[in-house]
Formats: sequence, structure tokens, C-alpha cells
Amino acid sequence: MLDVKDLESGYGPMQVLWKPSLTVKKGNITSLLGPNGVGKSTLLETVFGSVPPWGGQVLYNGVDVTRVPTHKKVDMGLALVPEGKHLFPSMTVYENLAMGAYPKKAMPHREKNMQLVYALFPRLKERSEQAAGSLSGGEQQMVTISRALMTQPQLIMLDEPSQGLAPLLVREVFETIVKMKTDIGLTVLLIEQNADASLNSADYVYIMHEGTIKAEGTPEEIKGSSEIREAYLGI
Amino acid sequence: MFFELLAGNLIQGVFLGAVYGMATMGLSLIFGVLKVVNVGHGAFIMVGAFITLALFDGLGISPILAIPAAFGVGLALGLFFYYTVIQRLIKAPELATLLATFSIGILLEEVIKLVFGSEFRGYNWVVGKIDLGITVVPMSKLYAGVGSVVIAVLLYLWFNRTRAGSAMRSVVEDSEGARVCGVNVGAAYAWSFALGIGLTVASGVLLTMFIPVGINPYMGGGYTLKAFVIAVLGGLASPYGAFFGGLVFGLIENGSYTLFALLPGVEPFALTRFLSFMILLVILLIRPTGLLRGK
Ligand SMILES: Nc1ncnc2c1ncn2[C@@H]1O[C@H](COP(=O)(O)OP(=O)(O)O)[C@@H](O)[C@H]1O
Ligand SMILES: [Mg+2]
Repeated sequence: MLDVKDLESGYGPMQVLWKPSLTVKKGNITSLLGPNGVGKSTLLETVFGSVPPWGGQVLYNGVDVTRVPTHKKVDMGLALVPEGKHLFPSMTVYENLAMGAYPKKAMPHREKNMQLVYALFPRLKERSEQAAGSLSGGEQQMVTISRALMTQPQLIMLDEPSQGLAPLLVREVFETIVKMKTDIGLTVLLIEQNADASLNSADYVYIMHEGTIKAEGTPEEIKGSSEIREAYLGI
Repeated sequence: MFFELLAGNLIQGVFLGAVYGMATMGLSLIFGVLKVVNVGHGAFIMVGAFITLALFDGLGISPILAIPAAFGVGLALGLFFYYTVIQRLIKAPELATLLATFSIGILLEEVIKLVFGSEFRGYNWVVGKIDLGITVVPMSKLYAGVGSVVIAVLLYLWFNRTRAGSAMRSVVEDSEGARVCGVNVGAAYAWSFALGIGLTVASGVLLTMFIPVGINPYMGGGYTLKAFVIAVLGGLASPYGAFFGGLVFGLIENGSYTLFALLPGVEPFALTRFLSFMILLVILLIRPTGLLRGK
């Protein structure tokens, strides 16, 4: 569904991505693992288009979208849950979710999708009239994920959704990600530093280091290879 | 006698304040969305004043019809300057946008001077007066005040009830969040700037309806200054805060002018300016975030 080929990008003169390539299969949870600062977020932002690509290719359903602007990618069913939440703090939870239905193709499904995310995160329904900025970190993360689901995506890319959450909430987030695949039929590209949890929920894993992909395999293969674990995951 | 003076003053002050508020909304909107301080603000007000003058003196068109005309010209100017200048500077240090908007202001002043000359002008729109019971107000001032309130309400409805308005609000709150919701953030920036300039040029019409004299290419400077004070009063990033800041400012300015005029041997115009800014300074010392806390 998503093919990244030899992608290059960076900030100012500094190159961060050194031609990583990866493939996300339809209906799978694909996880991208790696320690802090190796370029995982930059990869997602470049695929999405908020960081401009320098070279390489991004194919979405076989179509070259490397230089398609971000709002058109959202229309095509690509959603991003960015690092650092980026909610609309003074709007209510409901208004944040309603903003997720901004794409024209998502508008007609707004109420249906609203029910769907309230079913995933019942707590958001209780909080629907509260300002998003007043929520706890975990609740804000739920809103960010829900807002992305409101855009009616086919492929959802999540940037460290469990970052900074208490262990119980981390489990809830990973359960939700699995539900996105099994119950909603979404394809997922998941960035994580939390190797254990992602190895347990992913169908396929890429390991990133120094701006490129250093290893890949099924979770079993990664778990089975002590070389990979020691060299890149520290477990 | 004193009560009538007070009532008349409050009413005229409210009208003037509404016009001031409307004349500051564009500045706040542009700052709120783009974090760009438009130092050329007053020059765009001046352009609106000349549009009114040209339409009225040249073609006999009523200033009321000059409002939409000025708004349209402002939108076009805003888009033009956004794509030629501002867009390249959004990520640049603040000084770059300050210099750029300052230069745009000078450019507008000199172009208008080239076309219209630099003498002071006015126009004479005869629409009569209205007796409000407690006081008599020129109709032109009533139109200016009511027109400003109508425009502010329309802007509010547009922001809160339309899809484009919601996109702009989301960009103000978090541009990256807006992007992942599928908002075309670049276009939202361009149209916010255009809308801000459109409102500002239109406010030039309303200001001349209130004060139909003293129209000249360099009249904008004083309005830039007032708009900054008003914007800070109401919280720099909020157009509605600006509107209420304008109301407060208009009341103070109008009230103190009348009071000083009663004192023998005092030149009320200069002293009014002094007093308005003194009061505002004091308010800002007590509440540096603005009276309305920038909500
Ligand atoms: N907005 C930015 N401007 C400049 N450098 C950045 C920016 N974002 C990330 N970087 C740098 O790019 C490198 C990769 O960062 P990032 O993609 O966030 O890594 P990860 O998500 O794997 O932790 C780091 O060296 C980081 O300092
Ligand atoms: Mg990151």
C-alpha cells in the first residue's frame, strides 16, 4: 500500500534520511523501530510531506505521491498522528474531532466516525465539551489518534503514540492500534522506541539507524536474532 | 446639561470605539495567524480613505458602497503582497517582516501621493443627523459605528460557521495539527493575510465616514500607533479582543476630548492623545497580557 524508495531529506544543510526504503502491506501493522534521533519522525514527516523530500520516491497505492501536498494526501486517505500531539488546545474535544472531519470526503461520515472513536475511547465522550488543552497527557493522545481517525483514512501513521504515557495507558494505546487493524480494517505504520510492545503487535518490523534501514523481518525473526537485538534495540 | 453631555459622549465614544475596533481586527488577525506584525497597517487604512474619496468625489458613489469596494481591493492587495513578499519571510527572523511591512507602507504612501498629491482633503457627504432622544448624532457617524459592528459580527459568524473559517481557526491554534486534518495551511496563511488587509482597507472607509477630513497619504501613521495600543489592550492575537479594545479606546478618547474642551486655556486635541496613551500605559502596567487576557 505504501512504498518508500531511497528517500532523502533533512533540515537546512543537514541530511537526516540516507535512502531508507520500506514497504507497508495493506491490512498490516508495520512497525519502524529505532532509538532516539535516528530519523524516524523525519521519515514519517517526509512521507506525509510536511518535511520536503530531497530525493527518492513515495508510492501510495502504486501512485507516485512524493511531491503531492499534504492536504491532498489526507484526501487520499493518508493520516498522520504526529509526535507532540498538536491538538487545538482551546477548542473542545468535540471540536477537535470535528476538525478531523475537515476533508470533504470525511464530512459525510462525521457522525458515524464520531461514534466509532467514542466506542474506542469512551472517556472522550465524557470529556467531549472540555477544552482539549485541559486534558491529561493520556487523554490528549487519545484525542490526537481519534482526530486522525476522523479523517476517514486507509493508512494511519503513528509517531510514538505511547511516548510519555503510564504503563496501563501504553497497553490501552497498543490494544487500540490492533483494533484499528482488526475491527476497522486500517493499515498501520507505527513508529516506536518501545520495542517490546511493538514487537508483540506488529506484523512486520523495520529497524532504523543513522537515517537508514538496517534490518527488517517478522517480529519472530527480530526476536530470534540476538545480533539485531543487541546491535540496534539494546534488549 | 451634564447628563446630556455624558450620554452624548458615551454614544459617540461607542461609535468611534466600534470603528477603532474594526480598524484593528485586521492587524490582530494577521498577527494571530502568521505571527507577522504589520507595521504598514495605517497605510492600508489610508488606501481605504482614498478609495472612499475617489469614489465619492469622482463618481458620486456613497461611502456605504465604498465599504465592499475597499474590502475587495484590500483582498487583492493582501494576496499580492502575501505571494510577492510575506510568504518568503514567514520563517525569517521578526525584523525581516517588520522591515518588509514597513516598506510596503511607504510604497503605498508614495504611490497614493503620486496619484492624488499630498494636500489634505475631505469630502462632504450630506446624510443629516438623527435625534436619539438624549443626543443628536450625525447619520454618517451612526452608519460608521453600526457598520463596524455588523462587519465584526459577520467576521465572527464566518470564523465559527464556515468550513474556511474553521480552517483558519485551526491554523491559529496549531498549524501542524491543521495540516494533519487536511487543511491547506499555505492557502490558509495567504487568505488570512488577504482577509486581514481587506478588513483594514475597509476600515479606512468607516474611519472617513466618522472623520471625513484630513485625508492625505501620510494619515496612516497615527492609526498604526492607535491600532497597536488597541491590539495590545485586547490581546494581540484575537480580532474580537481587538474589537473590544477599540471600544475602550474610543470611549476614553472621546470622553477626555470633551472634558478637556470644557477647561479654559487647554488645547484638547493634543492633551487627549496624551491622556489616552497614559491611561493605556497604566492599564498595561497592571495587566500586561491585555485587558481581555488575549483569549
Ligand atoms: N525541525 C528540525 N529542525 C532541525 N533538525 C531537526 C528537526 N527535527 C529533527 N531534527 C534532527 O534530525 C535528526 C533526526 O530526528 P528525528 O527524525 O526526530 O529522530 P527520531 O524520531 O528517530 O527520534 C536529529 O538529529 C534531530 O536533531
Ligand atoms: Mg521522533
